[in-house]
Amino acid sequence: MATAMETALPNDPKIRGDIVLPDLPVGREELIRGNHSFHEITEIVCRVNEAPILATPKPFIFGIMLAGSVFAMFGGYIGYLYWEGPGIWGNNNPVGWAWDIVNFVFWVGIGHAGTLISAILYLFRQKWRTSINRYAEAMTIFAVLAASACVALHTGRIWMDYYLFPLPNQMGLWPNFRSPLEWDVFAVNTYLLVSLLFWFTGLVPDFATLRDRTTVTWRRLFYGSLAMGWRGSHRHWVTYEKAYQILAAFSAPLVLSVHTIVSFDFAVSQLPGWHTTIFPPYFVAGAIFSGFAMVQTLMLPARAWLGLKDIVTVKHIENMNKIILLTGSLVGYAYAMEFFVAAYSGNDYEGFTFLNRMGGPYWWAYWIMVSCNVITPQLFWFRKIRTSVAASFILSIFVNIGMWFERFVITVTSLHRDALVSSWEYFVPVTEVLFLLGTFGLFFFCFLLFVRFFPVIAMSEVKGVLPQANPHWEGYHKGEGHGHGTAEGAGGH
Amino acid sequence: MSHVEVAKPTDINIPASSLWSRLPVIGGGLGIAGIGATLAAGVGEHGQRAMFSYLWAFAAVLGIALAALGWLLIEHVVRSQWSAVFKRIGESMAASLPLFALLFLPIALLGMHALYPWTHETDEILEKKRWFLSNEFFFGRAVFYFFIWSLFGTLLYRFSVRQDTLGNDLAARDRISLGLRKFSAVGLFFWVLTLSFASIDWLMSLQPHWYSTIFGLYYFSASILAFYAFLTLVSMALKKAGVLQQAITIEHYHDLGKYLFGFTIFWAYIAFSQFMLIWYANIPEETEFFLVRLHGGWEYVSYALPVLHFFIPFFFLLSRHVKRNPKVLAIACWYTLFMHLVDIFWLVMPNAGGHGAHSHLSVSWTDITAIVGVTGIFLAVMGVFLSKNAVIGINDPRLSESLTHENY
Amino acid sequence: MSTTKLWGYLARYENPAELYHACEKVRDEGYQRWDACTPFPVHGLERAMGMKPTILPWIVLVCGVTGSVGMLGFLIYAMNELSPYIVGGKPIFSLPAYVPIWYEMTVLSSCLAAFLGNWILNGLPRPHHPAFASKAFERVTDDKFFIMIEAKDKNFDTKYTRLLLESTGASLIEELED
Repeated sequence: MATAMETALPNDPKIRGDIVLPDLPVGREELIRGNHSFHEITEIVCRVNEAPILATPKPFIFGIMLAGSVFAMFGGYIGYLYWEGPGIWGNNNPVGWAWDIVNFVFWVGIGHAGTLISAILYLFRQKWRTSINRYAEAMTIFAVLAASACVALHTGRIWMDYYLFPLPNQMGLWPNFRSPLEWDVFAVNTYLLVSLLFWFTGLVPDFATLRDRTTVTWRRLFYGSLAMGWRGSHRHWVTYEKAYQILAAFSAPLVLSVHTIVSFDFAVSQLPGWHTTIFPPYFVAGAIFSGFAMVQTLMLPARAWLGLKDIVTVKHIENMNKIILLTGSLVGYAYAMEFFVAAYSGNDYEGFTFLNRMGGPYWWAYWIMVSCNVITPQLFWFRKIRTSVAASFILSIFVNIGMWFERFVITVTSLHRDALVSSWEYFVPVTEVLFLLGTFGLFFFCFLLFVRFFPVIAMSEVKGVLPQANPHWEGYHKGEGHGHGTAEGAGGH
Repeated sequence: MSHVEVAKPTDINIPASSLWSRLPVIGGGLGIAGIGATLAAGVGEHGQRAMFSYLWAFAAVLGIALAALGWLLIEHVVRSQWSAVFKRIGESMAASLPLFALLFLPIALLGMHALYPWTHETDEILEKKRWFLSNEFFFGRAVFYFFIWSLFGTLLYRFSVRQDTLGNDLAARDRISLGLRKFSAVGLFFWVLTLSFASIDWLMSLQPHWYSTIFGLYYFSASILAFYAFLTLVSMALKKAGVLQQAITIEHYHDLGKYLFGFTIFWAYIAFSQFMLIWYANIPEETEFFLVRLHGGWEYVSYALPVLHFFIPFFFLLSRHVKRNPKVLAIACWYTLFMHLVDIFWLVMPNAGGHGAHSHLSVSWTDITAIVGVTGIFLAVMGVFLSKNAVIGINDPRLSESLTHENY
Repeated sequence: MSTTKLWGYLARYENPAELYHACEKVRDEGYQRWDACTPFPVHGLERAMGMKPTILPWIVLVCGVTGSVGMLGFLIYAMNELSPYIVGGKPIFSLPAYVPIWYEMTVLSSCLAAFLGNWILNGLPRPHHPAFASKAFERVTDDKFFIMIEAKDKNFDTKYTRLLLESTGASLIEELED
């Protein structure tokens, strides 16, 4: 049945992945289009990494130089912050926490889709994850790095950051392990480390592929040392897959716990607008939401430029859009529930906070947040929009903007109206825009390096979901096997 | 994944000789006796405690039927394949939802004063809540909830049964599946909102000063956990009665076990989030909830819940072998259902002493009659829906995938 | 260099189905020191190879429980004995406030155990392997499937083992040297 649909597809790989196939009530359409053999998958993915350094496409060089200079600017900005102190920010009473923490929550939220795609979709047997998980995991790691930078800088006195580590200070005093900010240190670092382990574990077989294909010495050494002597032994695969499954099983609750702990930073306080019990699941839903949007933002151009349309098809885009729709609606539910309970509680301060969000000085931020996070994602109810590459790209950028504003609304609007009218203030950023820009520089610089040198698609996993990967595939009984396994193989050596 | 046509099961109708076909009579009898006894006590002199028993039983069982509805909606929307063998069982539970409108009547007619302090007390805070907590609005909302639940529960069952009769008309069969998917997407929206607000109305407002934004999710997580346990037990009982012998396999139980495990964690996560934030912020208007549950014997229940409702089932269900052994899994399901009752009991009963007063932990005979009665009548109605038609959606396009489903 | 010793045989197959059936044959012949190498995990191959399940989950369980109990113990000790100060009105012994760090460290110790256990059990990193000398074996991470039978196996016989591999439909058979 699936093959009947395949024959209806055009031959041009440039458009094949964009064709929207009818939505069937039963069965699944093939995940990878174009009837590729195992070898073709290897070729498609490795082509990007194997281009000689000097043959790097010009737009790519331009991109990495741009990101690199923004990253370098960020370095200068950190020096400036070190020299001048946080006075270069607009933070002042009562808004003592502003863009520093907004940027942190923004990035750490984006960092949640990677492990979610890898871990939770893996546990739910969603095989479509194999086409996007590597990309999303890389995104996770760099987003968490950007988040770590924000959290390290937000302390102001950067040289005192070691106070955060679980070490006794010169007075023999240990950090307060009952403090949500200390929980954050553990949560973010654990998350970064586990995501790295997970990412690296997945990469090893693909590094081995690059090692075995290359003829250049430095590549052989580079990929060879990363591949650690992987030889695809099935005795290894069994332990490897078990390890992967265990890492997934632990990562899934880890993802939830990390953003839960981030939400605790706000919610354990007594501030109206911060303290509400729905914060943990609401933050988690928001994190997944923004993470998937960022995957879309990065994936849609990449699949066209890197020629990955057969592997990342419109079906994958549609699936991600569905998750964006679901999590966006959950975020909407949380907004509504917060608002309702503020009204229901009979607590004047709660009620004021939420009315002030809608109609106060920062009304614009609130309405940007609602329109980008709740209203525009509802367009994904329509299949036409869900399966349109252009619409997905635009809407994903809306979500990114909306989620940044969500954190801004939570942090700044809750603070700027203190309990006493004399303590009211309107927060205006000073140099923070450079801060946000700098984290983007860090993120994109790392990301572009990743795209250039690491396989962006988990080759071994994609091969595993091809129909001919199953030794009992019906095609083998019909004698189709040789065409699949060896079409390119004969010419290879 | 290749698509293989497999033989469909033939043992799909409950035999007349089995206990299942007598369930409507037995369950109905138990139901009328149990509910009758509870309500008789409820209208008596010290009727308040009996009304609380009734509300507790109502909330605990309603949660299962509601979770069944939500589960169906989700499975339709995501086109879940593994679960197709259980679809009709879930549909029979959801189709019983109109019954709960009937079961709500005693609360509306007899119990309002006994259960809800806001109906007759007043203070500054309650005055501010009057716009929401008023009899008219409260009943209006209840009518709306029951309308939505009955509509979706009934229609899902009806269309699914119609699909059974379509035989080889593949186009019509697929049309129903696609239609149900769209219908379910809309349903999901209403289901989430009605479930949350129903829990706020009927359970959260028992303590009218207290509020918690996560409460709807708490009731959802408790209910869906109980639902998975209940679904597993019903499917096991059906197999025992001689139907679906080949259709439901170890693989399906393994998956149900995974969900049971997953939602055990989810329940703990939600419960801990609520507790943690209230404990840490320590604001008097919120801590009230835990305060009444830390006195008068309730503290034992409060401390026992995380251990008995999370740690023990967590470690028990951790192993793959437990999930793949129906006998052991059944123990976990009975245990989970029992803990669900304890959990809802802990939610409802501490308010029985009246507003502001600390009640003491006690189990009354009306608790037994109430739970037997409500469960009995629910099983009776569910049994009618189950035995009226095949116990499996025989013409579901996803059935053959489900029959050959395997965990890897 | 001249005194090379036979390490074993390497046989190449073109697709997972051929490999699967070949593995079943090798298993049934009672070989112990042999291996199948594939570009991706072929599901069910462990049955065709007659392998025992991995002990990794037990390692993870032991390390996870150790890390978990150790961290909880440390938190209680640190907050009650090392730095017993009341901050923010929280009691010195406040279990709920220990939960987040306790939980994170449980996850971390389990994940480290899974990660390191995987490589240790597999004997990796291993810079060299006799099969890496084979040119054909370079395709094992691309699209070819291999069986290796070691000469150390007690059933190994230069002639008979070769015949066995030929009978399984291998498209190429090579000798690997130690």
